[in-house]
Amino acid sequence: MRPWLALTFLAVAGAAWSSAQEPKPVKAPEPPKIESTCISCHRQLSDAALEPTKHLDDVHFQRGLSCHDCHGGDPTKGGDDDPAAAHDERKGWGKPTRLQIPLFCAKCHADAAYMKKFNPATRVDQLSEYRTSVHGQRNAKGDDRTAVCVDCHGVHGIRTVKDPRSKVHPTQVADTCARCHNDSELMARYGLPTNQPGAYKTSVHARALYEKGDLSAPTCNDCHGSHGAAPPGLQTVAQVCGSCHTREGSLYRETEKKKPTLNLTPAIQCVVCHDNHAVQPPSDEMLGVGPKSTCTNCHQPDVPQYRSAERMGRSIQALSARLEEAHRLLDQAERAGIEVTADRFALRTGRDHLVEARVLVHAFDEERFLASVDEGAKSANAGVTAAERAFAELRQRRVGLVVSLAVIAAVIAGLVLKLREIERGPGLS
Amino acid sequence: MTAPAWLAEAGRWLEERVGLSQFVELGRHKQVPLHKHSVWYYMGGMTLFLFGIQVATGILLLLYYRPSEGEAFESVQFLMARVPFGWLIRSIHSWSANLLVFVLFLHMFSAFFLKAFRKPRELTWLTGVALMALMMGFGFSGYLLPWNTLAFFATQVGTEVAGRVPMVGEFALRLLRGGDQVTGGTLTRFYGIHVAILPALTTVILGVHLMLVQKHGMSVPPKIEAESERTGEPLRSHAFLPNFLIRDAIGWCAALGVLAGLAAVFPWELGVKADPFASAPAGIRPEWYFGWMFQSLKMLPPHILGFEGEVLGILAISAAGLVWFAVPFLDRSPKPGNRVSLAFVASGWLALVYMAVTTAMVYWPVKG
Repeated sequence: MRPWLALTFLAVAGAAWSSAQEPKPVKAPEPPKIESTCISCHRQLSDAALEPTKHLDDVHFQRGLSCHDCHGGDPTKGGDDDPAAAHDERKGWGKPTRLQIPLFCAKCHADAAYMKKFNPATRVDQLSEYRTSVHGQRNAKGDDRTAVCVDCHGVHGIRTVKDPRSKVHPTQVADTCARCHNDSELMARYGLPTNQPGAYKTSVHARALYEKGDLSAPTCNDCHGSHGAAPPGLQTVAQVCGSCHTREGSLYRETEKKKPTLNLTPAIQCVVCHDNHAVQPPSDEMLGVGPKSTCTNCHQPDVPQYRSAERMGRSIQALSARLEEAHRLLDQAERAGIEVTADRFALRTGRDHLVEARVLVHAFDEERFLASVDEGAKSANAGVTAAERAFAELRQRRVGLVVSLAVIAAVIAGLVLKLREIERGPGLS
Repeated sequence: MTAPAWLAEAGRWLEERVGLSQFVELGRHKQVPLHKHSVWYYMGGMTLFLFGIQVATGILLLLYYRPSEGEAFESVQFLMARVPFGWLIRSIHSWSANLLVFVLFLHMFSAFFLKAFRKPRELTWLTGVALMALMMGFGFSGYLLPWNTLAFFATQVGTEVAGRVPMVGEFALRLLRGGDQVTGGTLTRFYGIHVAILPALTTVILGVHLMLVQKHGMSVPPKIEAESERTGEPLRSHAFLPNFLIRDAIGWCAALGVLAGLAAVFPWELGVKADPFASAPAGIRPEWYFGWMFQSLKMLPPHILGFEGEVLGILAISAAGLVWFAVPFLDRSPKPGNRVSLAFVASGWLALVYMAVTTAMVYWPVKG
């Protein structure tokens, strides 16, 4: 028996010991080593001359490019004794002016053959897109105050878009744009307001991006374009919004075709009801003729559209309230212990119709809208009926419980009486 | 009040063929001791009654339950929402299972403290402990059957614990799960265990247990026995039939009332269907009667003297179970004043307090 015990002990000890060992840490890869007198000399300098050497995690540097690839000169020469040898203008030393920067960056970034060596999927149309933008057009006309590549991407220490520290990462874009668009002195030159970045920060889009961490939520460049005037291929506000809100966008475009008499110029598209930068979460109160209505901004009480808006608003708010009531009652029934999962699931159809109706607002078709609301109302009513049925069953259960407890109590009483009757006689020994 | 002639005739007919009167006579002759601890004698009958409820409601549940990953939850949902009194049957089955384990614990600990395991009742104790293990097996296997999220993850944790047992853990894990993970295969397996294997084993062991109870009668605690011997007064007793049985029946009726109340006011929840790809929800815990083991393993540090804490914990719990099983052979002189016997009583109280505290910690975790 003893050898078995010893073997068992050793096996258990071995198994326990081996699983108790910690995993070895993985070593991080080292950055590329590039020999350059630029870095060794500038590290001994101060202020602006020292600054570039602090950004060795720059995406260009990490991919093997160094100072001389942008600034020219000879990095093999120079040193402490003769900096002029490194700063040789005959070898292209210098730095581009703000007007030159777009073309300067495009020397590489518009060269497909060169860029694909680093990333086969990379775009090379940034310069041509930039030239379609107000920034690019003004730059081409000689205005050196408008934004160029380095204003958004940085000069040294440029990082990829995916890097959260990058100035063009979705979470940084609004602040990057705000550096100029919040500058009232600069914007005054172009007659532009400076409230856009602040307004954006109050929007539902900004809340999704910053509070929920949803990187797909739009920031400045998603509507205004990264380099161009708008995202590629999009001409109107409805198209821009519709690139994410696809169903609303397509319904809106259908309306444009079906009702050519409507004056749906870009100026009165999505932004009329939803605003442009301070887009707020839509509510059912936006429809109708109430104080929060956006319909009444344009439609006066004496036109048929006003009455149509009134009917639509009333019906969707009634559906929303009825669905809420059905949910509340089913919750109550569930808390009381009635199984209502199937009824709750059926209620989803009502919710789907409510969402569909909210989207159908963008078709400006009352009949179609009310048809969806009616379907939703059927589902909501079925939910309320199911909840009422559940409450009726609950009452039935309580009555059943009282009756059965009464029967049980009567049986117990009968047994006690019988026991007393038996034990009055010679039952015990 | 006399029975109608046809009923009396039917009784005579049955008596000629079955001879029921001899059983009635046996019951009338069987005497149950009466003393200050007699109340504990009713725990066995109560456990048996609740087991009967489990069998009856379990058979009714079988008519609708479908043991597959795709249908288990839906079939229970249908039973709860659409089948007349389906909610009642399932709720009574679930509440009764919990009451059964509770009463079984009372029965077992009362037998332990009143030294009912002593000679010649060692086998009664052994079969009783085996029945307790079987009832816990019923609880563990039945918990998964509705295939809801909590049950799914609790089973995953529970089977993982079984998998940590040295030497046989991996085999036990695969045997229980029917594979590496908790899947629909595990559900089918647990269903088979719950409705076929465990009932078959229980029928045999319960039969032996009841037979032994009949053979040896009720055990009188050593203190009461010694007191009777000292004073020379014979112990009072009453007939099993009808005195004891009527009292038993009063208890059963009361239990039925409690079950009806619990089922009607707090119907057993179904929860959300298990999603094996979802992350485990917060607050997973096993049924309360596994709580003390769960909490004990949770409290242990990852490593103790270079050994895995959890493995040591499992070994300790297994050792405690073995000691509990072997009590009749360890506490061999359970007379009043015997030191070993007193130590066993003290250990029993300690175990009870420990189990109560650790179980409470599962439901009211200590913060910080």
